[in-house]
Amino acid sequence: MYFQLAFRNLRRNGIRSALAIVGIIIGVMAVASIGIFSANLKTSFLSSFQNVTDEVLIYPAYNAHFRHGLVTTSGVMYIDKRTAERIVRLPYVRDYAFVKDTFTTARHREEVFGVTVYGMEENAVKKLFKAEKGVLRLSDSCVVGYDLADRLKLRVGSRIEVNGHNLRVSAILKETGARFDVNPNNAIIVSLRDYDRIFNTKNEGYNFIIVWVKSLKDVSLFKDAVDKTVNAREKKVEVFELKIIIDQINKGFSFVSRFLMAIAGISLLVAGVSILNIMLMSTLERTREIGVMMAIGAYRTTILKLFLLEALILGIIGSVIGAILSLAGGYAVDMMILHSAKYLLSLTTLGYMIEGMFFGLLTTLISGLYPAWKASRLEPLEALRYE
Amino acid sequence: MSKNRAVIELVDVKKVYRVGNEEVYAVNGISMKVEEGEFLCIMGASGSGKTTLLSLMGCLDRPTYGSVLIDGIDTKELSDRELTDIRREKIGFVFQQYHLIPTLTAFENVELPMLLKGVPKAERERRAMELLEIMGIAKAANRKPSELSGGMQQRVAIARALANNPEILLCDEPTGNLDTKSGEVVMNLIKEQNDRGVTVVLVTHDPEIARYAERVIRIRDGKIVEV
Repeated sequence: MYFQLAFRNLRRNGIRSALAIVGIIIGVMAVASIGIFSANLKTSFLSSFQNVTDEVLIYPAYNAHFRHGLVTTSGVMYIDKRTAERIVRLPYVRDYAFVKDTFTTARHREEVFGVTVYGMEENAVKKLFKAEKGVLRLSDSCVVGYDLADRLKLRVGSRIEVNGHNLRVSAILKETGARFDVNPNNAIIVSLRDYDRIFNTKNEGYNFIIVWVKSLKDVSLFKDAVDKTVNAREKKVEVFELKIIIDQINKGFSFVSRFLMAIAGISLLVAGVSILNIMLMSTLERTREIGVMMAIGAYRTTILKLFLLEALILGIIGSVIGAILSLAGGYAVDMMILHSAKYLLSLTTLGYMIEGMFFGLLTTLISGLYPAWKASRLEPLEALRYE
Repeated sequence: MSKNRAVIELVDVKKVYRVGNEEVYAVNGISMKVEEGEFLCIMGASGSGKTTLLSLMGCLDRPTYGSVLIDGIDTKELSDRELTDIRREKIGFVFQQYHLIPTLTAFENVELPMLLKGVPKAERERRAMELLEIMGIAKAANRKPSELSGGMQQRVAIARALANNPEILLCDEPTGNLDTKSGEVVMNLIKEQNDRGVTVVLVTHDPEIARYAERVIRIRDGKIVEV
């Protein structure tokens, strides 16, 4: 019956209550939509980095340049083969790929172009990439990235000349997102044997090594193991965890997301002020009624609860509708900026909808608190006599 | 009658209001007793302090000086919450303006004091219907106050005042807004309750109404002038 009483009081000034609810709807929608969009933006951005968290990259350390004979004629530093073998035999290593790379010029028909050439074993290429056309094979042939093939109109069977060596294209790779290890979209990948033949680097080490550890928690154990063995006497290699990058991106995104949501929260604040306003008017208009309630035996706390209940009803209606509409809002912003809403239906979205509702309810309760308190502090006789 | 127990006792009660820099004594040193089961009428012109006196008896207000005892309990010592309990358990109010809650039906208005007391729903509904029947307005149970005549509204208000079986019924000009016929109906209903043992204190300036009472006191300028 308290609920009915509260509900009817709100209906008494239907338009006023409806406007207050609209305010809450807009506020909740703004907060939740922005939250949903930021989360989708992050998911969309990070989707290209998926499955790299157990990946560790190993680069030559710079200080080795001066103390050790690791410097080559071209002035680039390498991880020498003995060190490389020691690293990949450490515990925790599930799989690995040795990589050599360089930037050079190549020629297809009459066109000369700059391109990154990677030297890798065939199985490592297969592990990392998928072929769009052709079959991934590196013996006496190469694979090319999607963008490069697109730009030069390369097909399976086309020929490219690199450093005076003629290579047959065996496959064109599928397009990939940004990566920290090998970026094949604009590159040519050959076998390590062919790489050494083309660039005459048979006696040189590797530019970097990709290591996959057995599980996520092995990342730091592996790092320690490298420091205790290969790096024990002097720092020969740098270990670079991709997990840290992902963590950093996550952190950055959540900061931006909070900031945007706080800005959207201003609309919720405005809604809160409007609730404060209508509730204060309501207490004023109902002063005599409050007096009657007190005369017939309502405690001050009962009056307080009744008014809070009214605020709560406004909050619940507004927040639920707002949360549902935020799905539409999130969809609209996703389509506008990401041109895709495929990340919309997820647990994260639900989380932000709930968060929006929570803040909507919190706002209405805080706004309702002062008017409710004021109503409960009225003196019964004065309230009864109020004109 | 003096052998009867006093349900309300006032001991040198004063109520002071500040109007600007001036102190106004709405009630100025009244001592009196209301005995169990009696029908007392307080008469006086408007501004004589009779409504203030009734509010003090009904624990709606606290005296500036002196004591108000309800069933021998000195209300001076009580907290707001305990005063509310006394109003709820022992006292029923009937106002000149009816003061029904406009959003509730007649039935729900009668239910409200029982709801505030925590009476179970079934019991509340049975009692509310019973009271509306006694007041002869059972047919109007589901109507809102705005759909009822003044006389009917006042009868709903009396039903509400009786909801928690109070010992005392305090009526402030209960017929003040009613025509003679409706006024008579209302007064008979109040008298009926008095006959059943409810103590009635009624404030009026109408001598016709005062005839229903067993005892009449007159007050002027916050003092009793005639018993």
